[in-house]
Amino acid sequence: MLAAVLTSFRQSVIFVCYHFRLLCIKLVLHRKTIYEKAFLCGRKAIGTLVIRDLTRKITSKLFLVNKIMATNRTGAAQRPNGATQGKICQFKLVLLGESAVGKSSLVLRFVKGQFHEYQESTIGAAFLTQTICLDDTTVKFEIWDTAGQERYHSLAPMYYRGAQAAIVVYDITNQDTFGRAKTWVKELQRQASPTIVIALAGNKQDLANKRMVEYEEAQTYADENGLLFMETSAKTAMNVNDIFLAIAKKLPKNEQTSGQGGSAQGRRLAEGDAGAKAPGNCCK
Amino acid sequence: MAKSVFSKVDEYGFERSENFNYDVYDEFMSEYIRVLTRRAQRWNTLKNDIFNRPAVLKRFIRKGIPSDLRSTVWMRVSGGENLKNNSPYTYNNLREKIREQHIIDMIQIDLPRTFPENIYFSNNEHLPKMLFNVLATFAHQNKEVGYCQGLNYIAGLLLLATKNEEVSFWLLKALVETILPQYYIVTMKGLLVDLDVLDELVRKLEPVVHRHIHNIGMPWAMGTTKWFICLYSEVLPAETVFRIWDCLFSEGSKIIFRVAITLIRLHKEKILQTKELGELIGCFRDMKNHESVINCHKFMQEVFKLSGNLSNTTVRRLRYQYNIQDKDK
Repeated sequence: MLAAVLTSFRQSVIFVCYHFRLLCIKLVLHRKTIYEKAFLCGRKAIGTLVIRDLTRKITSKLFLVNKIMATNRTGAAQRPNGATQGKICQFKLVLLGESAVGKSSLVLRFVKGQFHEYQESTIGAAFLTQTICLDDTTVKFEIWDTAGQERYHSLAPMYYRGAQAAIVVYDITNQDTFGRAKTWVKELQRQASPTIVIALAGNKQDLANKRMVEYEEAQTYADENGLLFMETSAKTAMNVNDIFLAIAKKLPKNEQTSGQGGSAQGRRLAEGDAGAKAPGNCCK
Repeated sequence: MAKSVFSKVDEYGFERSENFNYDVYDEFMSEYIRVLTRRAQRWNTLKNDIFNRPAVLKRFIRKGIPSDLRSTVWMRVSGGENLKNNSPYTYNNLREKIREQHIIDMIQIDLPRTFPENIYFSNNEHLPKMLFNVLATFAHQNKEVGYCQGLNYIAGLLLLATKNEEVSFWLLKALVETILPQYYIVTMKGLLVDLDVLDELVRKLEPVVHRHIHNIGMPWAMGTTKWFICLYSEVLPAETVFRIWDCLFSEGSKIIFRVAITLIRLHKEKILQTKELGELIGCFRDMKNHESVINCHKFMQEVFKLSGNLSNTTVRRLRYQYNIQDKDK
């Protein structure tokens, strides 16, 4: 008898909790819309403060409810918009380097596992995403593949601004492209986010018999400048996944990551500062 | 009604993408063939007399130049013919001056990378050779521009349309030096100014889209550099590009803005549905396969609905304004 009462009591608690939880989730989802509306009305400051406070309260309640429900999910309480299983980190990564060194080919190999002998030259920039898993963390790369020709240089800051990682690519069969890579590294060290993770990729390793840049030379340069370094081949896929993986490992995956989540660049060249200054969180 | 079977390459030799919508194309083509036949007849009745009737010429060009007349008409209306007649050098003279190795190298790297999916470029040595000549000759006679990536796509399409190296050269010269000044120079100043002009035009004509794009934080250069630099080649289907170029040659660079605004209007809902930068960029990238873009005839009609709002004067005024602002920065 007692057991039956207890069971039915337990069931009703679960029932109530379940519906309360649904309501909370709805509210949390609704939060974004409220934010946007408040923003559009120009009452951002007041609006967001009130809403943030409200949602915090709701999410902490949601956490308790979650516990009662004894679901497997963990970690929902820390962040209002939180992912609930493991961590999902999003990073903005930019590829830089002289024309025809294989930037687009590296991306194509990494994202689609393909290789085209004659990859069309990139005008402006191309954007792709790829997700990899690293222990309990899902790392999502937002990849900006830029145009290599010198005169497109003036457009480049828009792509590396706010980037958490960069791959500077050169062609091991062409000494000039190595020089250009060094220029890019210098520019990134001066202009990009101070915590940016830079990797140097000596591409076209499959053409090692025509090599003009020695492995040791590049390795020394990379060591001196604190860069990750690998020789890669988009053609044979050598070290392509590895270099992205090495970057993912080196990127800080806690909440204090500097730089931004990657989606809020400003206008061309001049007006992006507001977005770039905000201390973004990489992990959601 | 029996369905036509379309080849995997289009009439200009481009391989169709995997997600190409053959049903939409079939429907459009059965209509468009009638249009083409009618336009050809109309042009034939007027012949050369048409060049003496500017209003008729403009109207005819907006409705599409028949493909066999394109090189003649483009040369006449773009100023290419004038450049050719007034030049102290013939094309062959200029071509003999190709000698600078770094320019030659840059162009040669890009030759096999220009339209590798086009059967005329990938299966044949003749066309890449012509492309090299046009680009290298141009680069040597205009040191301020030299070779700018993107010109390879324009020259490539000019060659596919005219099948003539010399005509392609003069048309390229007219485009780069008179129709779109300062797009391709080392600082790309003209491009940067026109991106600001586009921003202003969208703000005025499509404020909701403008606000959305601004909120997401996409600089126009990210979504539209290719539109300006490649003049929609590599962005839209070849036939649509040629219809745009018909008007670009005859009416000038305001056409680029009209097309841009039209593309944005046609994709307005899709753009507004996007929530983050990646999605938005994807939306701009995938405009090629949209029904309204494949139907180039209807598309051009949409473009000219904008006539009143977007004149040469408006564009000139805005360019002037942003040019000054850039200098002040």
